[in-house]
Amino acid sequence: MDPKSGIDPKSGIDRRGVLKGMAGLAAGSAVGAFPMPALAQNTPLKVGIIAPRAGTAAYIGANGLRAVEWSTEKINASGGIAGRKVELVVEEETNAKETLERARRLVLQEKVDCIQGGYSTGVTLPMAPTLEDMQVLTIFWDGTTQDGVKETMPSPKYVFKSADNECEAVMASLIALKHLKGQFKRIAAISPDYTYGRNVWTAFKALNKKFGIDAEVVSEQWSSFSQLDFTANVAALKAAKPDLIYCVLGNADLPIFMRAATSAGLTDTARMVLVQAGHQHGQLKKPFTPVGTLLCYNTMYFARPNPSPAQKEFVEYYMDKYKDYPHWESDRAFFAMNVYKAGVEKAMAAKGGSWPKPEEIAQAIEGIKVESFGGPAGMRKDHIAEEMFYGGFATHDNPYDVCTLKDTYSYDASVLQKPPGADFWGWLETANFPV
Amino acid sequence: MATVDLLFAALFNAAVLFLVTAGLQLIFGVQRIVNLTAGSLYALGAYFGASVFEWFSAQGGSPVLLLPVLILSGLLAGQVGFIVERVLRTVYGRDEAFQLLMTFTFVLMFQDVLRYVWGAQPRLLGDLPSVYGTLVVGEFTFPVYNLLVMASALVVAGLLYWLIERTSLGHVVRATAENGRMAEALGANTRRINMLVFVLGSMLGTVGGALVIPTTAASLEMPIALIVEAFAVVVIGGLGSIRGAFLGAIIVGVLRALSLTYFPELEVMSIYLVVIVVLVARPYGLFGKAEA
Repeated sequence: MDPKSGIDPKSGIDRRGVLKGMAGLAAGSAVGAFPMPALAQNTPLKVGIIAPRAGTAAYIGANGLRAVEWSTEKINASGGIAGRKVELVVEEETNAKETLERARRLVLQEKVDCIQGGYSTGVTLPMAPTLEDMQVLTIFWDGTTQDGVKETMPSPKYVFKSADNECEAVMASLIALKHLKGQFKRIAAISPDYTYGRNVWTAFKALNKKFGIDAEVVSEQWSSFSQLDFTANVAALKAAKPDLIYCVLGNADLPIFMRAATSAGLTDTARMVLVQAGHQHGQLKKPFTPVGTLLCYNTMYFARPNPSPAQKEFVEYYMDKYKDYPHWESDRAFFAMNVYKAGVEKAMAAKGGSWPKPEEIAQAIEGIKVESFGGPAGMRKDHIAEEMFYGGFATHDNPYDVCTLKDTYSYDASVLQKPPGADFWGWLETANFPV
Repeated sequence: MATVDLLFAALFNAAVLFLVTAGLQLIFGVQRIVNLTAGSLYALGAYFGASVFEWFSAQGGSPVLLLPVLILSGLLAGQVGFIVERVLRTVYGRDEAFQLLMTFTFVLMFQDVLRYVWGAQPRLLGDLPSVYGTLVVGEFTFPVYNLLVMASALVVAGLLYWLIERTSLGHVVRATAENGRMAEALGANTRRINMLVFVLGSMLGTVGGALVIPTTAASLEMPIALIVEAFAVVVIGGLGSIRGAFLGAIIVGVLRALSLTYFPELEVMSIYLVVIVVLVARPYGLFGKAEA
């Protein structure tokens, strides 16, 4: 702006004109002829998306991004959220420090109305308190662990977390206990060496104990996060002679491990429990995923019998466009966007049609119910999502090049995750599981 | 049974490590350059091998030709060594730190090139190793593809020995390694020798990467993961020694397999403990030469 004239050389607007306009707007608003929220309703609703686009988690990020783009197109085609078109601003998720800087940029520079996304617990946990302090409505797709939730964010106001990561692992344990009891005496684990891997393996052992299964732990293999050669791990597992292997690998490492395990004959002697099969199910080809392998699909199973109309349409679109099978991160992204939409519309209705503040939207989201790809879902009062989880035993009897489930077992997250305020380990001991 | 499985896994890992570190050793032995790009060349070989085989399959090529196609693609990808050497040549006469920094610069550039050409997502080659089936001997099951990779490494070791010890080119290479100026004074074209050695070393890395792709995935993390183990091999075997690379690769492969079996959390530490012992007791490695 020219300091002398007060005229912005780009726009040609002078200071006096701006002041006049502001005064006019204020006056108009006061008499109700031109309510302020209408201003907001004329501008796009900006939603910042944070997702991994590189490295071993890129595949997961791509699933979320594709779903959020599809959801946004659908929402915009039907008039947007409360009349405002949705505009996505995508930032990459890398490490915690860099991602937090990008999130700040979304808030301060892009002035987004909401942030959605987040995959890694290592990123979402340190990022959440800052976003809470900045009073930014945030709905994470993922990255919620029991310990992390307890330690860093006891009662958030603006930040909403995904269903606990441990849900799929608890489900894996419950299915194994229910259907394989008596078939395993020697158990082994292979997992990336991080909190989630160690937590869920400990949970499986605790549930074995709870249900009176005296299985001997014969090997524990902890791989590095980006490890892609499992020849030695497979040899170590073979040497331990387990009858059941609890596998927590879930990135590109999972199909590589399964390929090595199958070619070395390990899958001939040990039943595989793939806790995070849903992360890579498009890569788990039939030749190295034996029939009977326990597959857990998290909150979306692409071949679910009688799917919701939204899932049916999305799966067809995804398989046609990307020649791949969508997984749970698609569901998480769809869920986050639809929870936000439902929250905005509920809060707006409560205010008689005027645009709500972020805290009013947050309050409206608490306890809200929506239909996600995976079925009925909602957000608990303590800001943790509840969705349906799917798992079962692999069959090759399908037209795909990957496995599907012989029988689909579904569990509501209310069965699989600890209630508000409870201690995870204490809850595991006392909960009444459907086994 | 456990011992045989572990030994098999260790030797497969050692075979791949040997291919890459042999290139590293060859280049250092002759040119005195610690070539940090070895890991990047390994990753390049993996990505390029995957793409070439996908193209080959799309043309109706038989999966049975997996191994020769991957070896050829690795040899082809190794030609990038011509470009790298051409740039490195500008710092031959300078302090070794310049050369090290130059190769590090290439590591960073390769990372971006790989990301630009192949994207960030790891690339897998489906279930191709199974086309060769498994060899069942009594109660043991060995993937035949892994056996072929091990055999390839042995053939490469034999060829390298023959080339360096038994051919006139090898005599000139050894003379250049011993005393480049003297070799030049006696008529050896050391500039050409340096280029040949660098490209040969690069091809060993890219062939190693191409051969490993059916059992793993090409990813942007490959260079760093490889270099961590490759330098342990080099230190244990002795900088610049091909025999050292051979023995060092076996030692690191066995250490890795044993630590994964008995102390999985200490995999890297167990390898580097041995590195420290070698550095203290025999700083020039098992087959390296002490500086005069």
